[in-house]
Amino acid sequence: MDKQEEVMRKAAQSASNALSKLTNVPVAVGIHQLKVLSVEDLELGLPPEELVAGIYLPVGGDILGGSLLAIPKEDAFTLSDVLASRDFGTTRKLSELDISALKEVGNIVCGSYFAVIANTLRIRIIEQVPNLSYDMFGAIVSQVLADLSQSVEKALFVEMEFVFSPIFFRAYFLLFLNGDEFKKLF
Amino acid sequence: MGNIEVAMGAVAAARPPDNLAASAVGSCVVIILYDPGRQIGAMAHAMLPHHSQATKHESQDTRYIDAAIDEILKRAATSGAKREDLEARLVGGANMFPEFKSHIGKNNVLNAKKKLEEEGIKIVGECVGGSVGRSVEFCVTSGIVTVTTKF
Repeated sequence: MDKQEEVMRKAAQSASNALSKLTNVPVAVGIHQLKVLSVEDLELGLPPEELVAGIYLPVGGDILGGSLLAIPKEDAFTLSDVLASRDFGTTRKLSELDISALKEVGNIVCGSYFAVIANTLRIRIIEQVPNLSYDMFGAIVSQVLADLSQSVEKALFVEMEFVFSPIFFRAYFLLFLNGDEFKKLF
Repeated sequence: MGNIEVAMGAVAAARPPDNLAASAVGSCVVIILYDPGRQIGAMAHAMLPHHSQATKHESQDTRYIDAAIDEILKRAATSGAKREDLEARLVGGANMFPEFKSHIGKNNVLNAKKKLEEEGIKIVGECVGGSVGRSVEFCVTSGIVTVTTKF
């Protein structure tokens, strides 16, 4: 687990730097929990009916896989307040602008992880366009698993906390890679 | 009396007072078989269209629609259901990312319908497609299917 943590912490630092630039606010990213889930075991890590904004970023190039950043509803509202410079507690429904901003956050966070992976494994990773779904966590993950199931066997589940002092929000990052890449990376 | 939760890739059969349930169904399809006279139900929560698309030989893998339907037919029969009295209901097959050109949900529904037709099982109800996640509860006593969404 040490190597996994090292890779994830590098990526988290990179993500926090990029989010700071995006929001013009100092951002700290913390990792609370790391676990490896087998796709065949189909453990999901969050209650399946929990409402989340799920940003899915599939990748290609030298690997086939993808990542999902799942932000629970209230945390998505909090983050939207920050991104749109609204008073804390204002957002109660995601607008098209909020969705676009959340997709960009997902792109940044997921992209940071893939950049570290690409550097660590010395491979080429091509990111596709991020997509967002605002619905039950289990429903979103089921489609990601179905989309990637032929090429991935394991998922890394990371519970993260983002601090835009004094506001913070939780997010859950899932990284889907096939067995060989997992072994090389971790 | 309780709900038997059928997770992704799993199957189950039940008699009253138990019910069958599946939570947070996205592109997966939930196939319910029911013998109303004998009150025997079976549920499959399948995620992929056909086992021929598997990279490994997984013909018994109930993540695949065809294998899942084969398995719930067996389980319904083992529980005492008569094949000629079975009727089917389908729930799910959504595309959770409408901007993403994914046909998995649609293909799951098509494959489920094709397989059920091949097996001579009539579909009496469906709640499929769209872009919302669904949770489903099947009351084995009454045969009523309840579908809930978060919106």
